[in-house]
Amino acid sequence: MSAIVLRQMLKDRTRSTIWWSVAIVALTAVLGASYPAVHEQADVFDTLTESMGEGFAEVLGAVDGLASPVGYLNSNFYANLLPILLLVLGIGMASWSVAGAEGEGTLEPLLANPVRRSRVALGRYAGHVIVLAIVTALSTAVLIAFREPWEFGEISASHFAATGVASFLLAVLFTTITYAVGAATGRKGLAIASGAGLAVATFVVFALSAFVEIFESVRWLAPWYWLLEPSTLSEGWTWQAIGLPLLVIVPVVALGTVWFTRRDLR
Amino acid sequence: MTNLPPPTLGTSPPPTSGTAPAIDIRALTKRFGSLTAVDSLDLAVQPGEIYGLLGPNGAGKTTTLRCLLGFLNPTAGSVSLLGGAPRDLDVRRRVGYVAGDVTLDRHLKVRDLLKWYGDLRGGVPAAKTETLCERLTLDPTRKIGELSTGNRRKVSVVQAFMHEPEVLVLDEATGGLDPLLQRTVLGLVQERRAAGAAVLWSSHLLPEVENIADRVGILRRGELVREDTMANLRAEARQRLELRFAEEIPAGLLDGLPGTSDVAVDGRTAHVVVDGSIAALLTHIADRDVERIVSHDDDLEDIFFTYYGDGSEDQ
Repeated sequence: MSAIVLRQMLKDRTRSTIWWSVAIVALTAVLGASYPAVHEQADVFDTLTESMGEGFAEVLGAVDGLASPVGYLNSNFYANLLPILLLVLGIGMASWSVAGAEGEGTLEPLLANPVRRSRVALGRYAGHVIVLAIVTALSTAVLIAFREPWEFGEISASHFAATGVASFLLAVLFTTITYAVGAATGRKGLAIASGAGLAVATFVVFALSAFVEIFESVRWLAPWYWLLEPSTLSEGWTWQAIGLPLLVIVPVVALGTVWFTRRDLR
Repeated sequence: MTNLPPPTLGTSPPPTSGTAPAIDIRALTKRFGSLTAVDSLDLAVQPGEIYGLLGPNGAGKTTTLRCLLGFLNPTAGSVSLLGGAPRDLDVRRRVGYVAGDVTLDRHLKVRDLLKWYGDLRGGVPAAKTETLCERLTLDPTRKIGELSTGNRRKVSVVQAFMHEPEVLVLDEATGGLDPLLQRTVLGLVQERRAAGAAVLWSSHLLPEVENIADRVGILRRGELVREDTMANLRAEARQRLELRFAEEIPAGLLDGLPGTSDVAVDGRTAHVVVDGSIAALLTHIADRDVERIVSHDDDLEDIFFTYYGDGSEDQ
């Protein structure tokens, strides 16, 4: 039965998924195609990197220099733009799946059908994950396909794939928190605040950890740190970028779903 | 309202007592914090019976129905449908529900929503939903978001009836429908009853259910304050009759008849209030040339207002 819920969810999201995909692929292409010009001016960017100090470069994921392929892609795309876009997409979907639908009143008639609450919730959650995966995969595929002409040749296809998966998992993690809080409480606002709030808070911890000692001691808690230190673009499939998000995602999904099956609908 | 009649629970056994109730609510209590929405409610509906659950807004009707559907967990007591738990999928397959507030996915076309819900029910023949749409004059190609409140109610009715449920739980099911369509829905409900379905119909308006309910229960502040058959309630209700004769009414013609009171004669028209049966009155005037008898059944509603009383003041 969850397949029917999932199918309907994907059907509902087809048009928006196409638009998101087109937008992110276009953005990826513009960024990628611009790199050769940046690379030509490497000296200017290297001076800039040196002047801003190691801490700031770390936040941008550009310890190798802003003009290196890894530094360029991290500082312009993987450390900010792509995760933020994926988070907007994921948190928007996840806040609707249970809490939003419950608030607007469409969840109750759906649950009057012979379908378990857990199937409805997990079917929709699976839909979010699939949409995020499609969008990230397309972006990654573009970069891999044009790796040579855009002068990213020193980054292997495998490292690109690892970075795509790691960015996807970072987005899924905060999407999952949004989903779970919404499922457990039925409150859409609280769900969005939890997902987006934690994403921002952990980014602040990570960003300031290079400068503020207290944040440095807790930065290992920040999913952004798992993604960017060290960068999967240079190191490939690292345990912290791939394994740690999964360690959070799985129990949070389970907890939110179980809570949803036991509580009163609002 | 301070002088409420004493509760007369259980004065009338359900029509088919002896068979297992299709809807069985036992000592149901539901609290939200300090508010007790439903208090120790016992209610059973037999197969082939229509039960009207009446009460003012906020009396606990919708809470009772939401417990019955498994949307809310009872604080105490139990509910069962067709002998099983409300969330049992085999039970759900055999239940139809029309919610009080009809909110369905606005972006979907009527046909697509019915197909989706039908698939969740293991597949409902398209011909079945099309027939129901035709009977309710509902255009299945329209988007739900573009429909009026009444038309959205029709979608809700179609999805509740399309799988021929053995139990129907209806919350203000004809609200927003014009009289003709109200009659169509009543017809659909009666068809289900004839097929042996149990129907629990919640309403705050007596006229919505009085013509088809076999029994009614009145909820006030979460408690069942009256439960009886419609036949008993009708017998109890006083009727206001207007009698039009072909000629002047002889003085004293209607005086002193058993059960009649408040006789007022004006030329060829008489107004009489009758307690219980009107048989004696009819026999008495049988040889007169009576052109027209008009019945004003207002007193039936008066009985309900007696119970509604101060229960609605806190809304």
